[in-house]
Amino acid sequence: MIESVVITFVQAVVILAVSPFIVGLIRKVKARLQCRQGPGWLQPYYDLVKLFRKDVVASTHTSWIFTASPYIIFASTLAAVLLVPIFLSTVPLNFAGDVITVVYLLALGTFFLILAGLDAGSAFGGMGSSREAIVASLTEPAMILSIFAVGLTAGSTNLSTIVHKTALLQGIVTDPPPHLMALAALFIVTLAETGRVPVDNPATHLELTMIHEAMILEYSGRYLALVEWASAMKLLLFLTLISNIFAPWGIATEPEPVWMIFGVAVWLVKVSGLAVLIGVIESMFAKLRLFRVTDFLGLAFILSLLAIIFFYILRG
Amino acid sequence: MNLALIGLIAAPLLSALLSLVMKSQGSMERLQCVHAAVLLGTMSVVVTGAGGGAELTVGNFLRTDALGAFLDLMLAFVGATGLLYALGYMGEELIRGHLSLRRYGRFFCFLNLYLFAMLLAANLDNIALMWIAIEGSTLSAALLINFERTKTALEAGWKYIILSFVGIALALFGTVLVYYASEHVLGVRWEALQWSELHRVASDLNPTALELAFVFIVIGYGTKAGIAPMHTWLPDAHAEAPTPVSAMLSALMLNLALYAILRLKSIVDPAVGTDFTGPILLGLGLLSIATAATFMLIQRDYKRLFAYSSIEHIGIVLVGFGAGGPVGVFGGLFHMINHSLAKSTAFYAAGRVLLRYGHKNMEGVTGLLRQMPLVGGAMLLSTLALAGLPPFGLFVSEILIATGAYVEQPWVAYTFLGLLAVAFAALVYQVFRMVLGEPKEAGIIMTPGGNRFAAVSLMANLMAMGYIGIHMPGFLSDLFIPMTRIFNSVSHG
Amino acid sequence: MVIHPDIGSQLVNFCSALLLLTCFAIIAQRRLSACVDLFALQSVFLAVTAALVAFLTGAHHIYIAAALTVVIKAMILPRILKAVIERLNVTRELVLNINIPSSLLVCGALVILAFYITQPIISLGFLLTKDSLAIALAIVLIGFFTMIARKKAVTQVIGFLVIENGLFLGATAAAYGMPLIVELGVFFDVLVAGLIIGIYTHRLQDTFDSVDTTKLTALKE
Repeated sequence: MIESVVITFVQAVVILAVSPFIVGLIRKVKARLQCRQGPGWLQPYYDLVKLFRKDVVASTHTSWIFTASPYIIFASTLAAVLLVPIFLSTVPLNFAGDVITVVYLLALGTFFLILAGLDAGSAFGGMGSSREAIVASLTEPAMILSIFAVGLTAGSTNLSTIVHKTALLQGIVTDPPPHLMALAALFIVTLAETGRVPVDNPATHLELTMIHEAMILEYSGRYLALVEWASAMKLLLFLTLISNIFAPWGIATEPEPVWMIFGVAVWLVKVSGLAVLIGVIESMFAKLRLFRVTDFLGLAFILSLLAIIFFYILRG
Repeated sequence: MNLALIGLIAAPLLSALLSLVMKSQGSMERLQCVHAAVLLGTMSVVVTGAGGGAELTVGNFLRTDALGAFLDLMLAFVGATGLLYALGYMGEELIRGHLSLRRYGRFFCFLNLYLFAMLLAANLDNIALMWIAIEGSTLSAALLINFERTKTALEAGWKYIILSFVGIALALFGTVLVYYASEHVLGVRWEALQWSELHRVASDLNPTALELAFVFIVIGYGTKAGIAPMHTWLPDAHAEAPTPVSAMLSALMLNLALYAILRLKSIVDPAVGTDFTGPILLGLGLLSIATAATFMLIQRDYKRLFAYSSIEHIGIVLVGFGAGGPVGVFGGLFHMINHSLAKSTAFYAAGRVLLRYGHKNMEGVTGLLRQMPLVGGAMLLSTLALAGLPPFGLFVSEILIATGAYVEQPWVAYTFLGLLAVAFAALVYQVFRMVLGEPKEAGIIMTPGGNRFAAVSLMANLMAMGYIGIHMPGFLSDLFIPMTRIFNSVSHG
Repeated sequence: MVIHPDIGSQLVNFCSALLLLTCFAIIAQRRLSACVDLFALQSVFLAVTAALVAFLTGAHHIYIAAALTVVIKAMILPRILKAVIERLNVTRELVLNINIPSSLLVCGALVILAFYITQPIISLGFLLTKDSLAIALAIVLIGFFTMIARKKAVTQVIGFLVIENGLFLGATAAAYGMPLIVELGVFFDVLVAGLIIGIYTHRLQDTFDSVDTTKLTALKE
């Protein structure tokens, strides 16, 4: 019992601590590819500290939603993260929910983010919210289906079971064609859900194209810090999902401290690798026009659907 | 023996290289005449050698059995008359200043390469190398079809390229599947791709893999053979290519593509049974005849008319093989060679008409018999042959095929004959309008040199057609007996 | 060094699945030059798959085929295509006969079809390349579809080359490669075919002032 509480606590701390690092890593990679030095590794942490110290400015037109949203977003994202195996294949909280719970906890955060964007009544916020709603409605099915595709092989929708069973299997990838399709789908979903190029550009406030930045334009001080931190955690959560569902090598299958420390190290390497990849992609590709985003997300949906059909028709 | 086979295949290649260095029209004419003579000479040695079921081989690469020799016979004979005809046709264009001496040389280079690729394909013992050779003929044909570089020739060439490249790619997939099946029996070896070995172990091969392979190869090579519904490139290419090329496409390439399909059929049948390949070929054959007959009725362009007639005749051959049995197979094979002769004659005549009037519109062409007696007569005779009237061989083969089909499925025979009647009416009606009556246009008078070459090739074709129509020569029956054996060794089993 | 056959088979299947994914990327792509890049990438994956098979089976002649794939399909042909695109001044966005989501759905169906067709004969093959034959067929079909669904001459060429990639994968998967002389012949043909198509594209541009093949409508019936 105590062990479970400790592990859950450690997991929360690890995620909270590592997530700004990943954001910083992507920025650093992009800076280096543009032949810039870029800000220091600790800059995202400094930003958070600075924002927490600053006062909040809120428009007089805003309602309680505007005030409550950052807390709800932060809490729901953190709750979702605790259900995802990170360094131990079976998380202590796995009884609390499966992949659907994770998706809906994230959706809850997105929902309040959209509401908050609308709440301030500014034109940009509304624009960002409507765009986010489009993106979210297209990514969610793809995300669930792509994880299901792996879940079918493991025979469960519980993330812990999926990761645990996959980790115990021999070899590198259990069933390459459908799993690779699901992986590609989940990667596209990751780019879309976390507001990355080519769906959104986190580095710009160009009003005609921004999505995520438009919604949080009204936030300041600790509210902004919470929202930014939550989105960093969400990014890390997706990277963790990708690495641990499709390649759970090195994850601890038993709660032994040594293996768990090893698991953390391996996990850090994997998510850093993915972060570097995202940085490279952001440097290489241009943002898509908004109307082309649906094509891009359609690709994810079809790939994940295909992975599922594949499993039922040919492996069932 | 082997030397003749090597000579037969090497002659066009050598001639292709020499064509590029010819400095005048006269030297080119001498070169191609020698080439044609070598083709005919070596071919007669090969055909007599392979008669009666013997096989000619060169190492592991070349193997000519009766079916291969049958193809050689068509390729070399029509190839030789085609070369002579091309000398007259392109010579006329050269004298009129429509093309430079350099492009004249290049035309013969491409044409000889085309002939080389087809002769090679017919004699290779290896199913994959055969694919490469057929692809080679596709590539050289692509250059020939677009030779005149008009807008419409470009369009026809593009259609041809896209369709036949895709087709040939599918055929390669079929070939891979055959290898996939055969390596299980023969091992991962060179022999697993050899027709002779495949034929030997055919009944042990995996039926599902072969069925799949057959479907791919029928679609793939069928595109090249102009089988409906993959025929859409064919009328365009035949109409727009220089006429000697149209003749060779129709008389040779379609037969070569059919040959590839038939070879595979002889492997698939022992493993799967004729119930699989038969209906596929029958269905495609009837569809081809129906499509061609319909479109022949509404043609205004005489080269397109003959092109559609080619689709019809390929369909007839398919019905023969689809019906199966010794009668059907014999009918199909006999139809191939007769069609090859008759259709090349028709195109030779059509080419002369095109040279004279400079257009392909049937409305403007009348009274050919009066204006150009030889050309008009040849067109009339070849049309009668193509329409299936006695005393030509196509009459015999169509009767045989109908009989073969009746034995298998009476309704097929009725449909077949019904469609033939439509095609007959369309062809005869259209061509009679051109041949009979009073000439409307004077046209351009042609040079005697060109006329001489045309006369020789037309007469040679007509005589050969009449000869085998009236009585089956010994060397041909020596080929037919072992050929029908190839297809009927296991059928009805 | 000996690799456990299970892991070897998974690696080969993994690489072939990557080829299939690039097919989807090509279908989802609207920019012409990106399509060419993706084709080059696919050819690299193909070479890696072939080299893996060569390594795992000891069929050394496949190395040569893999090297040729890199040189011809990943380097020479993409350069020719890019030069054509540049010189012809083709507009960057593709013209689609079928929009992207429906194209993707069709391709998905084609993949299922390919696996369904080849299912009965997969057991014939070697353990090493369990899914590769099906994937090869899927790639061939998708290439086929690309040729139908895209109008520009250059995209049709890419479709044709994708088909060729599928065929090569099929040959490698089905039989650990055809005999070397066959592979060489096929490569030669592909190269010549690429050149001829290039020549034709030029003439299309010169004659019709466009490489939009829907303008080829003079010949009918």
